[in-house]
Amino acid sequence: MNMQEAMAPAQLRQMVAVASTGDVRRAVEQKPVVVVGRWGCCMVHVARRLLLGQGANPAVLEVGDDADPAALVAALRSKDISTRGVADVVFDACGAAATARHAAFPAVFIGGRLVGGLDRLMSMHIAGELVPVLKQAGALWL
Amino acid sequence: MELYPGYLDDHFSILKLRGGSAAPGGGYMPMPSAAAPMGIYDRRHHHPLADAGAAVWAEPFRYMASGSGAAHGVELAEPKFEPHPMAPHDVHDLALHEGAHMPALPSPDSSDDQEPARPGHKERRLAQNREAARKSRLRKKAYIQNLETSKMKLARMEQELHRVRQQALYAAGTSTTHPGLPLPSSFDPVVAAFEIEHARWVEEQSRQTRELRAALQQQHPDTPEPRLRALAEAGLAHYDRMFLAKAAAARRDVFFVMSGAWRPAAERFFLWIAGFRPSDLLNVLAPQLGPLAEEQRAKVARLRQTARQAEDALSQGMDKLQQSLADSLLLSAATDQEDDEGFDDGAGSYSYSYVARRMGGAMRRLEELAGFVEQADHLRQETLRNMYRILTPRQAAVGLLALGDYSQRLHALSTLWAARPREPV
Repeated sequence: MNMQEAMAPAQLRQMVAVASTGDVRRAVEQKPVVVVGRWGCCMVHVARRLLLGQGANPAVLEVGDDADPAALVAALRSKDISTRGVADVVFDACGAAATARHAAFPAVFIGGRLVGGLDRLMSMHIAGELVPVLKQAGALWL
Repeated sequence: MELYPGYLDDHFSILKLRGGSAAPGGGYMPMPSAAAPMGIYDRRHHHPLADAGAAVWAEPFRYMASGSGAAHGVELAEPKFEPHPMAPHDVHDLALHEGAHMPALPSPDSSDDQEPARPGHKERRLAQNREAARKSRLRKKAYIQNLETSKMKLARMEQELHRVRQQALYAAGTSTTHPGLPLPSSFDPVVAAFEIEHARWVEEQSRQTRELRAALQQQHPDTPEPRLRALAEAGLAHYDRMFLAKAAAARRDVFFVMSGAWRPAAERFFLWIAGFRPSDLLNVLAPQLGPLAEEQRAKVARLRQTARQAEDALSQGMDKLQQSLADSLLLSAATDQEDDEGFDDGAGSYSYSYVARRMGGAMRRLEELAGFVEQADHLRQETLRNMYRILTPRQAAVGLLALGDYSQRLHALSTLWAARPREPV
């Protein structure tokens, strides 16, 4: 348990600022793996641990309790950030319209593209599709 | 007291209207006269107790009022609710007080006078009458209030009885159609329905297992197996149904689902987030599958590894959830006094708003639990599906048969364990 987890939640909240849409966009554009979730949500932790286990180092951003995932996804999509050369075939399953409608927290972005929620991440991992996608996004250090 | 025609005349003739008048009141005297009967009826309708809305009071009066023998009606009604021997005087006294409402009543007839010839005693008696009347009014009011509350209580109890009876009937109904099913232990209807559905699911799984065994014994290993494929897909669909029902029950009562109380006892030992571990599933299947192709073996190994990793991630998430919940409940005064805005309302860190906010966090943590059950079930589902993709239809059928057998053996173990001989207390 590192220092961050040993602190009381109140202190932790003061350290981790709530991310704005701009923060999220910047992170998604710059970092290969980003997990966006509500503050204090333990599913974010699950996604993070899963990705860490594969050798990736995800950036974790926390939004407010009342943030709307669909709105966030729509706002990000409008700026057309999904052009990072990642294979399209993997993301065919979550078409643009479907993703926006079913968007939920925590939301996982790999290579600038929205992969989906935690269950999508799990499905990909069990099917063995997660590691190739991470590699392609340059998230894994081999 | 004896009632006879003219009783009222005899008794009321000595009463006075608008008290104090020397002339003895025959105010109620004119029963036979035209105006009076309406007066009496008026008096009844203006009766304070009738106004109190007590139907029990108003009914007999109104009913009696409709007949021509109204005079006697008043008297007949009285003894029912006022066994007080001073009843006639009470009515008289009430009537006295109602005198103000009854301007239509004829003026007291001073001709009839059967009063005793001692004026001083008369006043005292009248005062006593007033007192007695007042007391009886209060008693009547209390009695009516008592009746009303009892009525409400009765209605509530009847409602509850009806509800409980319905529940028992439902449980008994399903038990009779499916003998051998246990009665549900939960009072929540959705959760109780889930328990019953799970019992039926187990029965259906036994049937499917038997079918699989029969099909596998018949089929020649080399012939195409569309039937086995169909059976395998039916088996997977059966598991999907269970996950769906479990999700609904978890949204309703997550602790019940997490406890595994709805499963046989021995299975509960292996419980991981409200169900079997996906990696355990592969451990049960793999030995039964027989020789696998190289590629298959590699895939199964990979599947086992990824399932394990996903399991670990979920387990760590659960640990974090426990920790967050514990943190939410720990009231640490030092850190929180410097905490959010509007927080320090001068009453110290244990003010109500503070506690409410703290509990809000804990409540949110508990809400996350249902999400974990969903994710765990999703993982189980994906593991099953991926396994199906790796295997041939025959191997899939063998695998499902192995799973069904294993579950049944666990069930049998639980029953045996429950029935084991124990030392007498």
